[in-house]
Amino acid sequence: MIEFDHVTRRYGDKVAVSELTLEIPRGELFAFLGPNGAGKTTTIKLIVGLLRPSSGSIRLCGHDVTGGGRAANRLLGYVPDVPYLYDKLTGREFLQFIAEMYGLDRRATTEKIAEQVDTFGLHDFVDDLTESYSHGMKQRLAFAAALLHDPKVLVIDEPMVGLDPRSVRLIKDLLRAKSAAGQTTFMSTHLLAIAEEIADRVGIVDQGQLKFLGTIDQLREALSSNEQSLEQLYLSFTAAPADADASSTRADALPAWAQQEPIE
Amino acid sequence: MSDAAQALPISLPHQAPDEPPELSYNAEARLLWWVRGRTVAASLNQVLATARLRASLVVVLSVLFWYGLFRLFVGGFDFLHLAIGHDATYDQTVQAIYNVFFASLMMMLLLSSGIILYGGLYCSDEAEFLLTTPIRPERIVLHKFQEAIVFSSWGFLLLGSPMLVAYGLHANAPWYYFALLPVFMGAFVYIPGGAGAIICMVFIHQLARMKRHFVVLTSLAVGVATLLFGWSLLGRTEGDLLTPVWFQEMLSRLQFSEHRFLPSWWLSAGLLEAAHNRTTPAGRASWAESLLFLSLLISNALFFRVLAVAVGARIYRASYSELRTDRTRRQPRPGFWLDRLVMKLPLLAAPMRLLIVKDLRLFRRDPVQWSQFLIFFGLLTLYFANIRRFSYDVNYTAWVNMISFLNLAVVGLILSTFTTRFIFPMLSLEGRRFWILCMLPVRREAILWSKFLFAAAGATLPCCGLILLSDLMLGISSLVLVIHQLTCVLLCVGLAGIAVGLGAKMPDLREESPSKIAAGFGGTLSLVVSAFYIIVVVLLTALPSHFYVATEQLDVRPAWVPAWLIAGTLAACAVGAVATVVPMRMGLSAFRKLEF
Repeated sequence: MIEFDHVTRRYGDKVAVSELTLEIPRGELFAFLGPNGAGKTTTIKLIVGLLRPSSGSIRLCGHDVTGGGRAANRLLGYVPDVPYLYDKLTGREFLQFIAEMYGLDRRATTEKIAEQVDTFGLHDFVDDLTESYSHGMKQRLAFAAALLHDPKVLVIDEPMVGLDPRSVRLIKDLLRAKSAAGQTTFMSTHLLAIAEEIADRVGIVDQGQLKFLGTIDQLREALSSNEQSLEQLYLSFTAAPADADASSTRADALPAWAQQEPIE
Repeated sequence: MSDAAQALPISLPHQAPDEPPELSYNAEARLLWWVRGRTVAASLNQVLATARLRASLVVVLSVLFWYGLFRLFVGGFDFLHLAIGHDATYDQTVQAIYNVFFASLMMMLLLSSGIILYGGLYCSDEAEFLLTTPIRPERIVLHKFQEAIVFSSWGFLLLGSPMLVAYGLHANAPWYYFALLPVFMGAFVYIPGGAGAIICMVFIHQLARMKRHFVVLTSLAVGVATLLFGWSLLGRTEGDLLTPVWFQEMLSRLQFSEHRFLPSWWLSAGLLEAAHNRTTPAGRASWAESLLFLSLLISNALFFRVLAVAVGARIYRASYSELRTDRTRRQPRPGFWLDRLVMKLPLLAAPMRLLIVKDLRLFRRDPVQWSQFLIFFGLLTLYFANIRRFSYDVNYTAWVNMISFLNLAVVGLILSTFTTRFIFPMLSLEGRRFWILCMLPVRREAILWSKFLFAAAGATLPCCGLILLSDLMLGISSLVLVIHQLTCVLLCVGLAGIAVGLGAKMPDLREESPSKIAAGFGGTLSLVVSAFYIIVVVLLTALPSHFYVATEQLDVRPAWVPAWLIAGTLAACAVGAVATVVPMRMGLSAFRKLEF
């Protein structure tokens, strides 16, 4: 569904994403973890077509994203960390705009908008101008817009930022349900607990390099074998250079699968 | 809200979710126009619901401003006709003025549309959002290009339309001259706008591949070529000022603007043909000749539109990615000398100095701001540095004095466009970061005063320098020079007060585009008030000083002349104080109550 083939993206001399080779199959909920500046958002911008790889290629449902990506974008739903909404449109008008952009007809638009308004609890404010929304309300509307056309792939950058606990629960349940229905989700997050709770597989990235790739079960296995918390495990993969010796000792203690293992 | 009322203008057959349909090119256009229409309608509704008085004031002031310009141009054309006398020479003169005016405007539109489009395509959140959707990149380019055309040409429409209407009335032009005016102007602005858009995208696309020294060398070469061009234009004239010889020489020197390949020439020739009901030397009716020029303009406008769209389709996405990942040119210079200088300024509290340094850094790191500043003030420097080459005779001291005041007014008017475009939106642009400022351990007044000081000092230094250069080149008396410097300081301080004060009084904290903030109601009001202020201050000092200089040759100067000079200067100081204090007080009061 999403295929990275030796993808590298440089910012001048700095390598933001290095030789990323990764395949995320249909229906998988993949969590991308890493510290600030690790390359998570760059990877997401590469998927949604905002940036182009310096080398390598990305395919989304078989469509090459690097060459232009419009065909891929039609299959994609994207929720950025700070969603863009037209201030002078109401929430409903924004949803109509998105529905028309993805080619939904009038009847389907009405049905889908009603469904999303129910799902995300937008009733109270959907007919107000979006400029009056709080961050959480904007985030909920952005989720509703991203899921409106039933995308095959959902890409989310920091999904839970600014959401209240009820909305967080709602999003978690929704993502699991969508995943079960065959939707592929690529999610970047800082919140280890969320990745642990809902992700099928996690990738830990640091300084542009994929340091760990595995399922949650494999992660749990590593956790029990090393008697480390998930947080400690994460920190050991993303240690600062000064801590490299100490962390490498801990990383070496992990099973072989838990170290970087690019998928062919 | 009923569904029918909200229905979008597009209807597509329902397709299976796994086969998402592709929106047609026209459907994309209608969709984006629908968004634009809804945005404008919502903004108008808001203004009418919450700020009717303010909106009415802005409309009335704008109409008054337009009418004032119109009367000025009517008077100008009457004077020109009277002074020249001969109809054919008058027509030739008007054509020469039009050619130069539209050629200069063409260059300005090319630059400003390119710079505005850079902001719209490469720095705006909307463009980033649209690039993640299935909308074609060329449609995004066209969407932003149309915006850039509007934002870059509204000044042209505001200044050009009263002049063209005044000429039409003065020349007793037939009705179709007035009907064709907006079509001519619209077609014309599309050409430099389209060229600016293409240059902008190609430049950004190539920027990442170009070596730094190549960029520097190319910029230097362009600068030298501009200087040489300016030198050739302003070379020494052989005849005395305003004599037939001088006049012919000036016309021949400006002949470049009559080049048949220039769209500005097509525009001036087309408009002048439309204004006269006669038969051309080619035997065609002048209205037919005018339509010929209009067709030429429209076909070229469409050509540039198609070319801009084609270039956008080919390179926009790639150039966006390249620019966003090109970090080699973004290394800020730590410890810049100007920052260190500001940090050592006495009498200013430390937080105030820090706030000024912050604004200085933002200005330096925003090429849209400093490039426009450099271009316009660079052109003025070029003009002032060569002004002596016009060979003014000492007998024309009154003329020289008038020109020196006109130069002062021009500097003020250009400065007012900058204060409206860049200073007025400063507070609004704090936007999401506004809470940081308000949480700082400083009084809110300090924030506003820091912006005022930044604007006033940033304007005074280059403007006073320019006026000093102009005066030295013109060789005017030291008394007038001192009055000019005082007037210039008054203009800079007053314009800074108007822009900062009104910017705080009417902030738009949600808008991220400075050009949209400047083009809004508050920005328009700021521009209109600034223009009135400049006219009043310059007239208050220019008229008495004109009489003072004119009576220098007399044996006994009438006693009222120096008294008027002193009274005029004092009155200008009083107007300057009012223009600074009143908007700042209004701004401070509103800023204290502002919630975030």
